[in-house]
Amino acid sequence: MANIKFKGVHKSFGSNKIISDFNLKGKEDEFLVLVGPSGCGKSTLLRMIAGLEKIDEGEIFINDQKINELHPSKRQTAMVFQSYALYPHMNVFENMSFGLKIEKRPKEEILSKVTEAAKILKIEDLLDRRPKELSGGQRQRVAIGRAITRNPKIFLFDEPLSNLDAALRAEMRVEISKLHNQIKTNMIYVTHDQVEAMTLADRIVILNRGNIEQIGTPEEIYNDPSNVFVAQFIGTPKMNILEISEKNIISENTFKLLGLEINFKNIKFEKTKHYVGIRPEHLKVNDKSDFTFNPEVELIENLGNEKIVYIKKDKKQLSAKIPSNVTITDTIGFNYKDLLIFDKNQIRIKL
Amino acid sequence: MKTKNLILFPLISSFFLVFLVSIWKILATLQGLDIQNFNLQIIFIFGLLISFAHLRVGNKIKIFYKSIIFSLIFVICDGYIIQKLPLWYNIGIFLVLYFFVNKINKYSFEDLKQEHSTQVIFFDFLTLFGILFFSFVILFPFYMMLITSFKTQIALLVNPLDFSINFGQDLKDLFNSYFVIFKSYKFGKYILTSTIVSVGTVIITLLFAIPAAYAIARLNFFGKTFMSTSILIIYMFPAIVLVIPLYTIFSQLGLRNSIEGLLIVYTATTLPVAIYMLQGYFKSIPKELEEAAILDKLSWFGIISKIIIPLSIPAISSVALYVFMIAWNEFLFSLMFLDNPNSFTLSRAIQYLSGDAETPRQYLMAGSVIVTLPVLFIFVYFEKYLVSGLTAGSVKG
Repeated sequence: MANIKFKGVHKSFGSNKIISDFNLKGKEDEFLVLVGPSGCGKSTLLRMIAGLEKIDEGEIFINDQKINELHPSKRQTAMVFQSYALYPHMNVFENMSFGLKIEKRPKEEILSKVTEAAKILKIEDLLDRRPKELSGGQRQRVAIGRAITRNPKIFLFDEPLSNLDAALRAEMRVEISKLHNQIKTNMIYVTHDQVEAMTLADRIVILNRGNIEQIGTPEEIYNDPSNVFVAQFIGTPKMNILEISEKNIISENTFKLLGLEINFKNIKFEKTKHYVGIRPEHLKVNDKSDFTFNPEVELIENLGNEKIVYIKKDKKQLSAKIPSNVTITDTIGFNYKDLLIFDKNQIRIKL
Repeated sequence: MKTKNLILFPLISSFFLVFLVSIWKILATLQGLDIQNFNLQIIFIFGLLISFAHLRVGNKIKIFYKSIIFSLIFVICDGYIIQKLPLWYNIGIFLVLYFFVNKINKYSFEDLKQEHSTQVIFFDFLTLFGILFFSFVILFPFYMMLITSFKTQIALLVNPLDFSINFGQDLKDLFNSYFVIFKSYKFGKYILTSTIVSVGTVIITLLFAIPAAYAIARLNFFGKTFMSTSILIIYMFPAIVLVIPLYTIFSQLGLRNSIEGLLIVYTATTLPVAIYMLQGYFKSIPKELEEAAILDKLSWFGIISKIIIPLSIPAISSVALYVFMIAWNEFLFSLMFLDNPNSFTLSRAIQYLSGDAETPRQYLMAGSVIVTLPVLFIFVYFEKYLVSGLTAGSVKG
C-alpha cells in the first residue's frame, strides 16, 4: 500500500538540465511505467526516488512523507538494475538475504522471507549457486527476488529486461505482470520499449526531454494521444503523420488530403498548417471505407501473420499494416473516425 | 620459393642445434669436464644432415623411433668417435638431440612448399632461441650462487672456477655454510627483522592504500585529479634524492636504527604504486554493485569491507606481493639508516658481511640464497591469486 507524488522536481547535471518542473501524482498500488527515448530523464527520476541521485529542487513524497532528505535505505524502496548488480562473491541465497542480514534480522525470518521470494520466482533450486553460474533470465529473477525480500513499499525497475534476448524478454514480461498481481504494491518501471510499457502498465507516463508528454492508461495513450510525439512513439510501425499545408485548408471545416476532400462537422480550422495522423493498422484494403485512394506500392514486408506495405501518394510516404492473406489491390481506404487532427504546434485537436 | 625454404630450414635448424649443444658443452665444462674442442663445424654439419634426413624420411617412421635413431647416431659420433666422454655427458647430449628432433618434426617437406613457411620457421626458432638464451643468462648467476654456498673454503681456494657440486660429501658438510651463518652470523635475527619490516609494510600500505584508492576511484572531491596525478609524480622522485634529507630528519627524531623508521620510509615509497594499481581495479568494479549495496543499508565502510575488498582479492594480493618484494629486497634506505648490526635487515646484513674481507665467500652466497628463497616461494604460492575475472557474472556477461 503506497503511492508516490512528485512536486516541482528539478534536476540538472552541470549545465545540462535533465528534468524541469516534474509533477506527478501516483495512485495506490499501481503499476506505473515511465517510457521515453533515451536521454529523456526517466532513469534519473527513478534514481531520485531510490535516493541514488540528489534532488536539486522540489519534493518527492511516498505516502505523503517527504523523502528528499531520507537515506536511500530508509525510503522503503527496492531497485532492480538493468545490469542485475548481483554480488558476484555471494551465492543466490546470500544475495537475496544480504539486506536483511545487514539489518540483523533473526535467522528464521531471513530464511522464511528468502524461501517465500524464491517460491514466487521459481528459483528454489538455484539458491546455492553463484551469479556467474546462472543464465541471464535467472540472474534477473534473483535480482527481483532480492527486491522482494526487502519488502519494499515501492518497487523500482530500471530497464530490467533490456539485457535479455527477445524470447526471454517476452517471458519475463509476463512474469513481472504476474508478480504485480501477486504482491499488490506500487511498482515504477522504466523502459524505452513501448511493448513493455503497453503490456505491463496500469498507467503510462510518456516522457520527452524531461517533460511529461502524456499520462494515461495504455488504451488512452493508444487511442487518444495528446500530441504528435506520443502518437508516433506508441505503435509499430509508427503512426503516419501527414502535413496539411495552408492552401489545403479549404474552409473552416474542410481540408484536402491525398486528393480527397474531408469534411468535419464540429470543428473550426484556422488558416494555418495542420497535421493529420492515421495508424498503419487503420489503412485498409477494401472499398467499404469512408475514403479511398490509389497509391503506388513501394515495398512489402511480410511478417507472417500480417504484412507492412509502404505506399506513396502525392509524394507522401505512408505505411499500412494489413493481414497477410489480403492481396493488395489498387485502392487503400480509411475511415473518418480513425483520423487524428493536430494543430500547427503538433497538439491534438479533439473532435 | 621452395628452394629458398629448403635451404633456409636446415640452416636455421643447424644454427639452433649448435646453440643448444654449445650450452650443454659450457655447462659440462663447468662441471669440470675437460673438452678439448667444441667442434662447432662438425655439429653444424650434423645439424644439416639431420634436417635433410628428417625431410627425406618424413612421417614414414614414427617420431619416437626417428628421434632416438638420429640422437643415437649423433651421440656415438660426438661422444665416442671424436672424443671419448663420460656417460652423463652423453645422456645430456642425447636429451638435447631428442628435444631438437622433436622440434623440427613440426616442419614437413609439404609445409616447406608454402610460401610463408620461412617466416614461420624463422620466428619459431627465434622465440625458442630467446627463451633459452635469456633463461640461461638469468639462471646461471643463480646457479653459481647455489653452487658456491655448498662448497668448503678449501675447495673454493683450490679451484675457484670449478662449478661442480661434490655430492659425495657428508650432508652436514654440504650445508655447513648454512649452519654457520645461522650460528655465528645471527641470520635468524636478520630474517626476523626483514620479515617484520616486510609484513609490516604490506599491512600499513594496504591499510592506507585501499581507502585512498577507493576515494580516488569513486568519490568526487576538490582536487581529485591533482591528487591522483601527484601520487605518481611522487613515485618518480629518485630515492637517492630523498635519502640525505631523510637521514638528517631521522637522526634528529631518533628513528635511525629502528624498525619504525624503516616502516615509515618503505610505506611512503610503496604507497603511490599501490594506490595507483588498486584504484584502476576499483574503477573496473561496476558501480551498480555499490548502489545495490547502498539500498541494502550498507555504510561506506561496509561497502568497502563487504563488497569492494572481497571482489578485489586478486588486485589486493598482487599489490601485497609487490609491496612485500620491494620491502624485502630494499637496500638503499636500510644501508643509510641502519648501522647497528642488531637492527639489520637481510640485504643490509649481506652487504655488511661482504664489506668484511674475512667473511668467506660461501657464507655470503648461503646468505644470498636465504634472501632469495622466501620471495620465490611467496611468488609461486600467490601466483594463483593473481588471476583476475572474479567479477564475472555480476553484470551481463
